[in-house]
Amino acid sequence: MKITKTKAFNVFFKPIWESNPISGQILGICSALAVTVQIKTAVVMSLALTFVLAFSNLLISLMRKFIPRNIRIIVELTVIATLVIFADQVLQAFLYDISKQLSIFVGLIITNCIILGRAETYALGNPPFLSLLDGIGNGFGYSQILITVAVLREFFGAGKLFGFQVIPDAFYAAGYENMGLMVLAPGAFITIGLIVWLQKTVSKE
Amino acid sequence: MSNYIKSILFAAVLSLVCGSLLTLASTGLKEYQLKNIELDKHKNILKSVGLMSGQDSVSQETVGQLYSENIRQIWINVDGKIVPEQRKGKNDLSVYLFSQQGKIQAYIIPIHSRGLWGKISGYMAIKNDGATISGFTVYSHQETPGLGGEIERKWFQKNFEGKKILDDQGNFVSIAIAKGSVKGRIPESRQKNFVDGISGASMTGKFLSAGLKQTLTEYEPFSERFRKNEIK
Repeated sequence: MKITKTKAFNVFFKPIWESNPISGQILGICSALAVTVQIKTAVVMSLALTFVLAFSNLLISLMRKFIPRNIRIIVELTVIATLVIFADQVLQAFLYDISKQLSIFVGLIITNCIILGRAETYALGNPPFLSLLDGIGNGFGYSQILITVAVLREFFGAGKLFGFQVIPDAFYAAGYENMGLMVLAPGAFITIGLIVWLQKTVSKE
Repeated sequence: MSNYIKSILFAAVLSLVCGSLLTLASTGLKEYQLKNIELDKHKNILKSVGLMSGQDSVSQETVGQLYSENIRQIWINVDGKIVPEQRKGKNDLSVYLFSQQGKIQAYIIPIHSRGLWGKISGYMAIKNDGATISGFTVYSHQETPGLGGEIERKWFQKNFEGKKILDDQGNFVSIAIAKGSVKGRIPESRQKNFVDGISGASMTGKFLSAGLKQTLTEYEPFSERFRKNEIK
């Protein structure tokens, strides 16, 4: 059997492009708008979300046979909230400046629909290993879009990449101007819209 | 019935496990977090007197060195007299002095003001003439990002530089945040006592203006002594 036909492969790679949580399922848009002005914050946010998503999927999948049906949402949220607070604490201890910039958006990972969505639809009904892969895959899918948007926004909005000036001063001297729209939330909205369009067109067949 | 008990038991065990894990993480990381907050405060003090700009990323050591070379914390009583640290009472106020070449260039007042959603904390540096603001920074607040949250941004804080806390006659009037831009709204002679406000965040401006006035009034005896050249 070819590797591309195995279940694990599909579980991992499908959410990265085909059923991408942001551009395919249109989930988790709010944080994608808020933290993508700079690449640095987008990368840290992506790592935090992937961490939470992978482990919440794994833990919930491990407990799936014991979780009482009537309180399952509460249980899922407790697990997610614990992981998010843990990630937030670690960021405050070791990446203080970035954690200040991300401000409330790390805490808001708790309400990110991707995580509860994956826990409900996948982790509750599948074994731990596949759930972990699904979590990481969806995390990467989210990260991929977030970082793409951040690259575009930082480049067109500030003329920088990773905080380094990439558009030479000569351009500015010649009359080039940064695009103010890209720094604001609508810039992200439009960029994500274009990515959704691109994706829908490419993967039509 | 047994289902209910099972649910309750499960919830209880889960809460216990999650709770203890978080407690463990929180206490374990506390030391690092406090160090970061301390460093951030030092950075803000340095920024308020222009020794550091907001953009550059500097190492912990450089901040520590810059701070210890230029900044000194002292305590003053309600009459603006300096009191030694060992004998400070609970009504005494903390103030930071920025000296260069043995001369005090500016003094830095910690600001704690009410905001719309929570406390706003920052620093205001005033030059040694006791009247001109040399810088203002905010290191913690809970205002709405994009609206009141703009108080932490460079453009807002830059407006304070060079403004006065005295009017033309030399009377204390504090500094206030205007509703919108200063130009055209405030009479010419009072413009130096106002900074541009943030559109969509007039409540934040109102609370911060009141907080600044209250704090500056408390430090007024100390500022007075600078104006009379009693402190060098």
